[in-house]
Amino acid sequence: MVAARNGDREAFDVLVADLTPLVWHVARGSGLDRTTAEDVVQTVWLALLRHLDRLTEPRALAGWLITTTRREANRVHHRAGGTVELSAEMAEQTPTTDPSPEHEVLRTERDRALWSAFHQLSQRCQELLRLTVLAGRAEYRTVAEALHMPHGSIGPTRGRCLNNLRSLYNGDSGS
Amino acid sequence: MRTNQADDELMAEVARLVNVLDPPPPGLVERTQFAVALDDLDRHVELEIAQWADTRPLAGVRGGLPGTITFFVGDLTVMVNVTRTGERQRIDGWLVPAGAHGVEVRVAEHGSAVTTADEGGRFVLTEVPRGTTQLLVRMNAEQSRTVVTPTVDL
Repeated sequence: MVAARNGDREAFDVLVADLTPLVWHVARGSGLDRTTAEDVVQTVWLALLRHLDRLTEPRALAGWLITTTRREANRVHHRAGGTVELSAEMAEQTPTTDPSPEHEVLRTERDRALWSAFHQLSQRCQELLRLTVLAGRAEYRTVAEALHMPHGSIGPTRGRCLNNLRSLYNGDSGS
Repeated sequence: MRTNQADDELMAEVARLVNVLDPPPPGLVERTQFAVALDDLDRHVELEIAQWADTRPLAGVRGGLPGTITFFVGDLTVMVNVTRTGERQRIDGWLVPAGAHGVEVRVAEHGSAVTTADEGGRFVLTEVPRGTTQLLVRMNAEQSRTVVTPTVDL
């Protein structure tokens, strides 16, 4: 990041390559459809061009990206006056531009039911679970700070979200 | 009482579904790298990032059909009409409030085309290659305030 701040374009490209999955899942976790999420991802990286000077701590970058993405996603929702599709998006309605057709990937009824249940979770749970999926890349502590959660409450909250997911899934499949 | 192991197993399934069913779109990294590779970027340029209006018509454009798309930031609104001309395309634009602002259309791997809007805020670019496209507006033809869009596939 230090090299990127000094105008090294290749270093900036490496940051984009490494951290775009994080920005993507934060945008999607905020309830944006895939097309809008893509615009937001690019907007966040363009915004970083402006703010790179002010990020003194390389470690703060992931947190800045998460916070900025959430703010931008909210702004887009607000501007759109609620016409941007929110979390109601179900597996059946994912855009046809998806790289993986559902009938190939959702091989089993269980997968379909679980994915459907996932989209019925609260926005906060979807966001938290997506972010903890990425925990290998973005540190847990960073996730906690960006979500304004005490570090120690991530685990218990994740547990509650998983319980909710289990209930929704069981209700869905009727078992 | 659920065990941690059950949570971990469910979490692994969620991770698999999220990664397989909702990965970043192919090419998003490359399109983003193109979008941020702005030549005239220096510390004295006030960069403003525009937002594409109404993603639904835009989605149609992205599906390959020419049409009108709009972007805006602050008080600036720019309408862009895209017409196919053989392998290339013609871009008719109209920016409001009107002014003789510089307009640049960057197309990935095809360089860029530059023009200046007339007093009425209208501009035309012909023979623009198709591809991942980004628009820039340099307000009042000065470099001090530059409006830039996310890319759009035209």
